[in-house]
Amino acid sequence: MEILAENRAVHADLEPAAPCSNHYYLNMGPQHPSTHGVLRVLLEMDGEYVVDPQPVLGYGHRMHEKMAEHKDWMAFMPNTGRMDYAAALPYNHGYVALFERLCGIEVPARAEYIRVITSELNRIVSHHLWIGAMLLDMGAFTPILYTFDDREQVLDILEDVTGSRLTYCYFRVGGVCKDIDDRFVEKTRAFIKRQRERFDIYNKLVTGNIIFIKRTEGVGIISPEMARRYGVTGPVVRGSGIAYDVRKNEPYSVYPNFDFDIPVGRNGDSYDRYMVRLLEMEQSLRIIEQALDQLPDGPFLGKVPKKLKMPTGDCSFAVEAARGELTYYLVSGGGDIPYRLKIRVPSYSNLSVLPELCQGMLLSDLVAAMGSMDLVIPEIDR
Amino acid sequence: MHPDTEKLINALRGLSLTVEACDYQQRGYHFAIDAESGKLRALAEVMLEHEMFLAFVGGLHVKPAIEIIYQFATYAGACRFVVRVAVAPDNSVPTISDIFQGANWHERETRDFFGVDFTGHPNLVPLILAEEDVDLKPLLKKEEALKDTAEVRWAAPVEAKPEVEKAEQG
Repeated sequence: MEILAENRAVHADLEPAAPCSNHYYLNMGPQHPSTHGVLRVLLEMDGEYVVDPQPVLGYGHRMHEKMAEHKDWMAFMPNTGRMDYAAALPYNHGYVALFERLCGIEVPARAEYIRVITSELNRIVSHHLWIGAMLLDMGAFTPILYTFDDREQVLDILEDVTGSRLTYCYFRVGGVCKDIDDRFVEKTRAFIKRQRERFDIYNKLVTGNIIFIKRTEGVGIISPEMARRYGVTGPVVRGSGIAYDVRKNEPYSVYPNFDFDIPVGRNGDSYDRYMVRLLEMEQSLRIIEQALDQLPDGPFLGKVPKKLKMPTGDCSFAVEAARGELTYYLVSGGGDIPYRLKIRVPSYSNLSVLPELCQGMLLSDLVAAMGSMDLVIPEIDR
Repeated sequence: MHPDTEKLINALRGLSLTVEACDYQQRGYHFAIDAESGKLRALAEVMLEHEMFLAFVGGLHVKPAIEIIYQFATYAGACRFVVRVAVAPDNSVPTISDIFQGANWHERETRDFFGVDFTGHPNLVPLILAEEDVDLKPLLKKEEALKDTAEVRWAAPVEAKPEVEKAEQG
């Protein structure tokens, strides 16, 4: 009872349940199996129905933005791999590209290709994890065994070249820290072939599954207008039929060299968000395939001054991370330590839509809707 | 480029705001605006009307006053705005969380880190930090590290261009 009273005090905006109503508070997380990482949602409930779900953040907060102000730009590099642990390479990419833009550093073409190939592999790995986890939340145990089998194949490839399996720190200002070899190319091509065959299994197991369809179709509909009010990005906004992808809208690196589509949904429900990610994996495979075909020779790391002197001023760099738009916004006062680094993470805005989205839902639908958002909590808490 | 950039810029000029065109290749955004806190809400309304979304809100501790940074972008193309608003002497800025609901959390986070009061915010309680750390304000600089606004701006800022056509090239 004490905890309840405390919660009410913290969430002053929650109307206290009327004396004779049936409303009660239900605490979900931070150690609930379907609130991955350490998300806590305080639910005001009326029977099985959710009246007001309020996410409570901060359990995984490490204050990365403060750390960035206390070390030189290179020493912060490992931090970038520790926000979105499921897809760390786009975070690497945004960070190094920010300094390349600010200081006007040229990157060799081969390095840009390696960045795109590894980032897209990382995106696929992230979606593997998400398919497994979302279905697990909804009570289906089998899919995660298949997706993790595929995920392992890619992690092995990435481990060979980056040296780690999860929290990558592979990119450097001016390129990457290790070149890819023929073995990498061979294994990646083998993976592309294998993954294309595996989509068939996913479709038989999940996409056409009547239970899955019944639980996701029409559940958690995000309208384009609602998405815009909250600044929703990534597969979540594309599920609502808006073809917003930083790779196309503000092309960076060598993405303009590749032919790929942006899959969009129609209804903006949980099923559409699932379909968008599934189709996106195929598009990532297409990008990797073209990149491997065009892969130029040359150095993998350009000439970079030993001591990077930043000009004063501010600079922004947006990339398409696995969950949406990731923006680094740097304010420099000269020297080699950032004066301020703001990190805009996609899951933060995507989750902020939850209270409006899930009002009046059944609790089990909230789990499906939240699962379809592909949240990574350490990224939100930073 | 956003299809209605011209309209948007004109609407912002209608609020007598100065829109500075920036070199995207160098800065990663297209336009910058220094706005007074009194005009912020009108600016946000214009952004909402013209199909922009709020990318983030963040703080920046500089002399003489803390600046709140808003970044707006669009789903329809490439058009990014950086809006800087200096807080009023009583350390407050009006909320825009009723215009862009996404601002609700960003403003709570900025209050956590900088102690800025967003007037009119419906629920300005700690979001990221724990309740007992309500006065921690971890991103405020120590006096010796604090810089002047001019020291963190581009040395030779591109002056606002009066004609819309020129501004569009930015």
